[in-house]
Amino acid sequence: MLKKRIIPKFLIRGGRLVKLRRFDDDQREAGNPVSTAKVYDSYGIDELIFLDIDATREGRVVASSVIERVAEEVFIPFTVGGGVRSLDEIEALLKAGADKVSINSAAAADPGFVTRAASRFGDQCIVASIDYRQLSDGSRPVFAAGGQTAVGQDAIDWALRLQDAHAGEILLSSIDRDGMMTGYDLDLIAALSDRLNVPLIASSGAGSLADCKAALDAGASAITISSMFIFTDHSPIKVRTYLNTNGVPVRSQKGSRS
Amino acid sequence: MTTAIIDYGMGNVRSLSNALEYVGNDVVLTKDPGALADADRLLLPGVGAFGDAMAAINASGLRPLLDRLALEERKPVLGVCLGMQLFAKRSLEHGVHEGLGWLDAEVLPMRPTPPSKVPHVGWNAITPMPAHDWLFDGLPAGESDFYFVHSFHMVCHDSVDCAATCEHGGTFTAAVARGNLVATQFHPEKSQDNGLQLLTNWLNREF
Repeated sequence: MLKKRIIPKFLIRGGRLVKLRRFDDDQREAGNPVSTAKVYDSYGIDELIFLDIDATREGRVVASSVIERVAEEVFIPFTVGGGVRSLDEIEALLKAGADKVSINSAAAADPGFVTRAASRFGDQCIVASIDYRQLSDGSRPVFAAGGQTAVGQDAIDWALRLQDAHAGEILLSSIDRDGMMTGYDLDLIAALSDRLNVPLIASSGAGSLADCKAALDAGASAITISSMFIFTDHSPIKVRTYLNTNGVPVRSQKGSRS
Repeated sequence: MTTAIIDYGMGNVRSLSNALEYVGNDVVLTKDPGALADADRLLLPGVGAFGDAMAAINASGLRPLLDRLALEERKPVLGVCLGMQLFAKRSLEHGVHEGLGWLDAEVLPMRPTPPSKVPHVGWNAITPMPAHDWLFDGLPAGESDFYFVHSFHMVCHDSVDCAATCEHGGTFTAAVARGNLVATQFHPEKSQDNGLQLLTNWLNREF
C-alpha cells in the first residue's frame, strides 16, 4: 500500500534556511540547508522540498550548488523550486540532483510551460505549486511571485487546469496559514483531493500531530511540515509514530544509516 | 569493481552514482564504447519520456554495443525506473515506441482503482518473488518500502521475469530479473537503507 508522505519544506534565502509568517518578510533564521537535510534524512523522512523564496523576484533561478551538496548527502527524493522558468533551468536542477522541480510563477504566466516541461521530463518530475489566499467571502484567489501578484484564478479551478497541463503533483500552500501553526485548510484539501487524479501535497498550517492526521484523512497524499519541526519538539519520528498508531498508512521503519 | 552508468543524456544520475559509491563501488558515467565494454557492470538510468529516451539511445550510436554487451556477453545490467521500462519490447507512453526488447514485456499506462492517484509517487511496499529473492536479501522483517515515482508500468509476458510486485489500486511489476538483466521500477538510490541494501545485493551477485 502506498504510504502517506511527510515532507519537511524549507525556504532558502541567501543560502540559509528561513521561516516566514504569511509570506511576509518577518523572517526567522532556521539553519543550514545541507546539514538540516542530513538530519532529516537520518530521521527517515519521506521527501524534502526546498524553495528559494527570492529567486523569482530577483529574476534568477535557485542555486544549483546548494542542490548538488544536498544530493551528495541524502538518499531521499527532493523537490526544488524558485524562479524556474525555462526547460534548461529544469534540466540543470535535475542534473544537480533534484528529483522534481516545483513551478509556480512561470505556470501562472503560461500554463503551457507546465505541459512543455512535463512532455520533456515526464509528468512525475513537475510539481505545480499553488499559493492562495482565503478571503472572507469564501473565495480562494491564487497569487504568484511569492504571494505578490494576483493570478486571477480560483485555487480549485487553477489546480485542475495545472493537472490538465500535465503537472504530476499539486503543492497547495495557503498564504494565510503559512507559518501560523493553526491547522491546514481542510475544506480545500478535501474538495481538491476528491477532484484531482494526481497526488495533492498539502502545505501550510501544521501545528499539532492532530493537524497532520486531519490533512491526510481529508485526502492529501502528502503533507509538508515546516514551523512545527523547527519551533516545537515534534520530530518526524514522533509524527510518524502518531500517524501510524492512529491508522494513517506511513512508512514504519526508520531510514537512518548508522 | 567498476559500474558504468550509461550516459545517453537522460536522467538524474548523480544520486545513482552517489549511492553506488556509498556502498563501495567505483562508478563512471560514460558514453565511451571502450569504457562501457571494459566496465564490470552497466547501469541504465532514466527519467522522462520513453520515446525521448529511446531516441537518445538510438541517436547515441550505442545501441548495437549495448545489445551485444547485454545479450551476447551477458554483462550484468541494472535498469532503474525508466531504465527498467526500456528493457521492454515496446511502450504505449504517448504513442507506440519500440524499446530495447531485452525482455518480452511491454509498458502500459497505470490505471489504478480510485482513489489511488497517478503518478504513483512515494513509498510503497514490495513483494519479492521467491525465484529472485536474492535481490532483496538482508531487508528488515515485515514490509519493505521503496520509493516510486512513475505513471507507466511494465507487464512481463513471461511471468518468471517478474522479481517483485507492488500494489497501487491494482498489482504491478516492481522489479524484473532474467539472468544478467535486473531492473527496478522504484529508485534504490532514493530508498535510503533498503535501496542501499538492494544495490549491495546486486553488486555482490555473481551472474
